[in-house]
Amino acid sequence: MKVRVKLFGTYSQRFPGYQHSQGIEVDIPEGATVKDLLAFLEISESQGAVVIVEGRVLKADDKVRWGVPVNVLQAIHGG
Amino acid sequence: MKFIRVNMSEKTIHVEDVPQDYMGLGGRGLTSIMINAEVPPKCDPLGPENKLFVAPGLLSGSPLPNTSRISIGAKSPLTGTIKESNAGGTVAAALGRLGITAIIIEGQAPEGDLSFLRIDEKGNASLIPAHEYKGMRTYQLVEKILESYGKRTSVLCIGPAGEYKLTAASIQSSDVDGHPCRAAGRGGLGAVMGAKGLKALIVDQRGKNADPIADPEAFKEAVKAVTQIVKADHMNAVVMPQFGTAGLVAPVNSMGAFPSYNARKGVLDGWEEICGERMAEIIKERGGNPTHMGCTQCIIHCSNVFVDKEGKYVTSSLEYETIWATGGMTGIADLDTIARLDNLCDNIGVDTMSTGVAMAVAMDAGYKEFGDAEAAIEMVEEIGQGTEFGRILGNGPAAVGKHFNHDRVPVVKGQSIAAYDPRAMLGHGVTYATSPMGADHTAGNVVGAYLEQMLDPLNPEGQVETSRFLQIAMAAFDTMGQCFMADVALLSPEGFEAFGKVIGAKLGTQLGPDDFPHALGVRVLKAEKEFNRRAGFTKEDDRLPRFYYEEPLPPHNTVFVISDEELDSTFDF
Repeated sequence: MKVRVKLFGTYSQRFPGYQHSQGIEVDIPEGATVKDLLAFLEISESQGAVVIVEGRVLKADDKVRWGVPVNVLQAIHGG
Repeated sequence: MKFIRVNMSEKTIHVEDVPQDYMGLGGRGLTSIMINAEVPPKCDPLGPENKLFVAPGLLSGSPLPNTSRISIGAKSPLTGTIKESNAGGTVAAALGRLGITAIIIEGQAPEGDLSFLRIDEKGNASLIPAHEYKGMRTYQLVEKILESYGKRTSVLCIGPAGEYKLTAASIQSSDVDGHPCRAAGRGGLGAVMGAKGLKALIVDQRGKNADPIADPEAFKEAVKAVTQIVKADHMNAVVMPQFGTAGLVAPVNSMGAFPSYNARKGVLDGWEEICGERMAEIIKERGGNPTHMGCTQCIIHCSNVFVDKEGKYVTSSLEYETIWATGGMTGIADLDTIARLDNLCDNIGVDTMSTGVAMAVAMDAGYKEFGDAEAAIEMVEEIGQGTEFGRILGNGPAAVGKHFNHDRVPVVKGQSIAAYDPRAMLGHGVTYATSPMGADHTAGNVVGAYLEQMLDPLNPEGQVETSRFLQIAMAAFDTMGQCFMADVALLSPEGFEAFGKVIGAKLGTQLGPDDFPHALGVRVLKAEKEFNRRAGFTKEDDRLPRFYYEEPLPPHNTVFVISDEELDSTFDF
């Protein structure tokens, strides 16, 4: 299953040549969860990762859906 | 430990010992409890009965990092409530090193009279005539002050807006580079300073008379423990130094809660052009500084220096709330314009948040088009020039709404909301409605709880409890002079215990588990609520504007659904 992912915070720095307007396309198994996606991107829980899809913050066990763009961001407490 | 009382009517200065009742207090705790004790609640905020309190935190000037926050308090001319407006920079540490617990500005100078209040290296205070600085903008003012008194000088000052007594006027605070770019922006306290006839407070940074630490060895150990927790925090270690608070633009837009076009939408078109990631890229490309230390003794470095295409300084620091108010609310997705507006607001001495929202209300009322960058710059310039419209704008969003008979005005108790729409982040609505300060995100910012999945932003469950917890904790931390970034790393039983040991070692007492932050925060909030009650505020004032209950916010198309009864239970202590 191909999913378009946009990376925010420092995550894009892991992917040389990352173009923000495009994001990256990842190929993960059908039924993959947020946890699986983060593992695929080699992002650990301690790095404050937040996955947001259609305006909602997903939990680790929530499934990622085909064709729905994903934003991966870092948690911040305020400004 | 001393108070410096300055009477602007009589031009007298008295130094007092700090009374026993105020021991262990600093910052917001001290300003709020003293306002409640000394300021007549129904007084004219711009009259001689109001007082302006300037207090470093209890730990400002001590070796604990991130404690250079200054609390400035008075009865607010914007909200009519008690007000503590909090700023970074260098002045809190400078006052702490001089052993000055608070400066209290009383009375009122004759109309047109203008002074500096200077505190020298020994902590001696004097009033200096400042007529020649009348109308001067803050950058030029601070440059001249540093020329006269040396670079190791901290300044709190007002620009033309404060002199005009506009109710969105700020008090600007100089940063480590001597730029007046940090602001006690909220509540219009610049107008109170202007009404007193005080143009600037000038403090020598070379003081060596900090209050003693009761148990220096224990203090050293406790500071080490707190510092380790702050440094280990991912947000402080990784995110803040690279993107600063602007790192919030992406998550809040992604969650559909970024109030845009005067809160008509929850996502700004083109927000990726003004997000923290893009800002850092631009700053790096142009040779600015994305990882800047703005405040004394900071170990986080969330500040930045934004430069123009020629690499010339424009402003520092470009912050999330400013990007939102002057960019999101106005529909201007352009960082160069936003940076210029930030510089103009700092220079004229107006709150970037109130000003951005005031412009958005004017645009919503049809006065200008959303997205019109040139019009936005002209409007802010009008504040500096003191034109009729500029004075309306400089009095904040409610004044603009009244001028245009426009009822979509996103304020509570007259003060604008912040960069989190209460229809898509319900907990912020609780904080805006119930904070004794009027709408104020810093009083209890819930966004971290949403991003860390502790709470669902659209589900009413848990919003009141979370806001209450944060409002109590922030009231306590604001008393200590520590910055918000370090505070959030300590929002756990372990963090509170570690921080309690710092306070205990400083004061020579052992704090119980309930003392910090709970008992202290509740004490401060009770004083604030008590002042507001005596000023005539009731629970009916703890409500959001009607449109938040009636007008769904895209993309979630939800409204604010916390009931009045639930709001009223926020401070059931």
